[in-house]
Amino acid sequence: MLATLVTAVVNGLRGELIRVEVDVAPGLPACNIVGLPDAALSEARERVRAAIRNSGFEYPASRITVNLAPADRRKRGAAYDLAIAVGVLLASGQIRNGGGPWALIGELGLSGELRTLAGALPMVSTLVRAGHRRIGLPLENVAEAEMVTGVHVVGLAGLDDAARLVAGPRGRIAARARRRPTVVVSQARDSGSMRLAGTLEPVDLAEVRGQQHARWAVEVALAGGHNLLMVGPPGAGKTLLARAIPGLLPPLHQDEALEVAVIESVAGILTQAGPSARRPFRAPHHTSSYAALVGGGPGLMPGEASLAHRGVLFLDELAEFDRNVLDALREPLEEGVITIARANGRVRYPARFQLVAAMNRCRCGQAGTDERPCRCPTGDADRYVARVSGPFIDRLDLRIDMARVRPAELLSGRSAESSALVAARIAQARARQHRRAPGIVNAMLPGGLVQNACAVDRATAARLVDLAEVGGMSARGIHRVMRVARTIADLADRASVSESDVLAAAALREPGDEARSGRAA
Amino acid sequence: MGQPSEREAWVVRATTVGVGGETLNRLLGRFGGPADVLAAASSGALESWLRSERPGVRRVPVSAPVADRLRRWPEQLDLVRTEVARLGLWLVTPLDADFPARLGDLDEPPTVLFGQGDRSAALNTHSIAVVGTRRPTPYGRALAARVATRLVEAGAVVVSGLAVGIDGAVHAATIEAGGATVGIIGGGHLHPGPRAHADLRRAVLDAGGAIVSEHLPATRPSRGTYPRRNRIIAALAAATIVVEAPARSGALITAGDALTIGRPVLVTPGRIGDWATMGSLRLLHDSPATIVPDLDALLDEVWRLEPWRNRRQLPRREGDEPGSTALATLSGAQLAVAAAICRAPAGLDRLVEETGLEPAAVAGAVTLLLMRGWLRPVGPAYLPAGALLQSAGAAGTSVP
Repeated sequence: MLATLVTAVVNGLRGELIRVEVDVAPGLPACNIVGLPDAALSEARERVRAAIRNSGFEYPASRITVNLAPADRRKRGAAYDLAIAVGVLLASGQIRNGGGPWALIGELGLSGELRTLAGALPMVSTLVRAGHRRIGLPLENVAEAEMVTGVHVVGLAGLDDAARLVAGPRGRIAARARRRPTVVVSQARDSGSMRLAGTLEPVDLAEVRGQQHARWAVEVALAGGHNLLMVGPPGAGKTLLARAIPGLLPPLHQDEALEVAVIESVAGILTQAGPSARRPFRAPHHTSSYAALVGGGPGLMPGEASLAHRGVLFLDELAEFDRNVLDALREPLEEGVITIARANGRVRYPARFQLVAAMNRCRCGQAGTDERPCRCPTGDADRYVARVSGPFIDRLDLRIDMARVRPAELLSGRSAESSALVAARIAQARARQHRRAPGIVNAMLPGGLVQNACAVDRATAARLVDLAEVGGMSARGIHRVMRVARTIADLADRASVSESDVLAAAALREPGDEARSGRAA
Repeated sequence: MGQPSEREAWVVRATTVGVGGETLNRLLGRFGGPADVLAAASSGALESWLRSERPGVRRVPVSAPVADRLRRWPEQLDLVRTEVARLGLWLVTPLDADFPARLGDLDEPPTVLFGQGDRSAALNTHSIAVVGTRRPTPYGRALAARVATRLVEAGAVVVSGLAVGIDGAVHAATIEAGGATVGIIGGGHLHPGPRAHADLRRAVLDAGGAIVSEHLPATRPSRGTYPRRNRIIAALAAATIVVEAPARSGALITAGDALTIGRPVLVTPGRIGDWATMGSLRLLHDSPATIVPDLDALLDEVWRLEPWRNRRQLPRREGDEPGSTALATLSGAQLAVAAAICRAPAGLDRLVEETGLEPAAVAGAVTLLLMRGWLRPVGPAYLPAGALLQSAGAAGTSVP
């Protein structure tokens, strides 16, 4: 007998529709899966057999052939398990289809329980687009599947649930089928603070003493989406400020939230019920591998850079990162996407993140401080700074040089604003930007729009010319100053960019001499 | 080859490995002038003399390999000549009229100097040395540059060691101020020091300065050659100024050499406990070196020591321009920021703290002051520059 079911898989961020055909025929007991399966998929036959038996059904002692169509596409992963198992039950007559067509997605455990699925969101939206609105998938994925409009999802705990679903109220289930024993599924995954990767505990700005300029620079950076580099000795508060960023980020717009949810779904870290408005903040450690940061690996999974899409990617100890990794990040910094091309496929993931980076001036970190000598071998400080390539540094709009806070400042500094206050200003500045150019933050304003958005009066224009001439600034540099000035005006809720905005913006970047001020140890 | 000239003989003797001061004295005592020594080496008289001095009983004046090298002096002379010509160097010996007489004060004066660049600059008597640590603080780097600038204005040739750190800042500032600067290197000209200073070395030569070494071009610098280089810096200059010497700094060796031969040593002070000036303060305490209270006093001292005639102009008096003059042209945030920087160099964070202004206002003021050339970013801090420099001293009193 033949059974046909519909399921879906994910390739990059796109779902693909797959038809599963199961034929159970007399012959020597065997199970063949055809249609270019990979290793994980070939092992499906073992999972399916055990799951069927342990759910109270019988595994037919017949010749079973499973075909995955389209046959010419390579298939990988375990999301086909459920469709194959139900197909076997249908084709062997253990259940009869009385519930109408259901698309089924899910990976089976040996006991018959369904495992949480990575990438359910794009799979479901593909199915819905293809007209398959009735979908059964693992319970844990229901919330994310329901983000897709017009879908009818049913959460399934195991194979028996799926059998009942397909059989429908009028269908028939083999008498011996019984409820699968309750299995406690506990998976060691960080939840809740999912978008705050790593060990960074959030900090409220009220706890950050001194560093008034740095605080302001962070505010400007977040308000305009400008990439930010913090340079300074250990103990200057670079990481502390970074830890305050999650509490300052403006909420995601609805369509942005969906983009983020799809990536998180594919990465298997989406647990929120419904798209979250919280912007991602990812802080991968500098020892992270290339695949972890950029994406790739066996499943061509999205990396941290993509997980930070529409949010902030924080790279602490920038110079310690592998040079290959940093160079690979130049593509997303410019294009907002990452292309991963490997022998086993080619995918594109969005990665429009805001980069916040921190680094020391030299390996020992003491260069440029008065308190202690730099212990690095002569010339090492230059080499340390030079590890981060010039074009990469060029992509960072803002640069702040931080010194250690003096104890007196720690104790007597003026009372600091709380994160809530600053976050409100940032959100309002972003709202202004959204009204001006929907979805485009100031940092991303294309050259042509800069002139319009940042229209300046004659005196300010003259000032810009002065700046360019004194500082030897390029056209790109001028645009950078104008974009940042626009953000400063937005923060002050002013419609036009004033001369003082331009002057303040110019100070937010060293006059183009990263290497030299690094050398000034 | 016939009889070498006295100068040729001197060059051979100075560049032959194994012929030091002691050996030379004994050879000269036996044979007369350097040329006579070489003549003796060629004729075999040296060897027979060696044989007559019973080895083992007394110290052998010249070992057999050295004697052999002396015998082949024409080859050595040729080698030196070729190298000097190939690298475009010049060479000066104590027999030359322009050999700096000051070097004679040393116990072991250099017997020959190989130079590149402007010979007269290198041998100029109006030279002042500025030395310091390889790992200066931003303040030390900026101070070294200011000292060098003032010395140029006073017409001095500024001597240093072409090392990274204070040396580099001194050479660079001298060039920027339009002065001539001389770098004494620790190795031969084929090993001129840190790669990071390749551009600086070129600039030194382009700006009418010179690079000088007492070693054959192929000599590699070693642990021992740097202290020996320091003695040349100390002796060549009329005075040595020490900017930032941590404990056990090479700059202290230079200062010690200078004091040994009776040259004045001037030391810029630091705060007690600051690592960068620990050696400087120790030097001030333990030796006759004098403290530099401000740059005017430094210039007075230099002028007193070496009242040369060809200085281009009177050194500008920092006190001539009262502090309020520059600051009077400023107002509002700029004035507050400038005054704070005059009190003490500061980064943007500290400036916000000090002035109590909004960060944006401080940032704007800093940009304007930078555009005027009144600030100079050094590491994370801004230091007064240009007209503000004169205000630094007076700022504490004349600014609200």
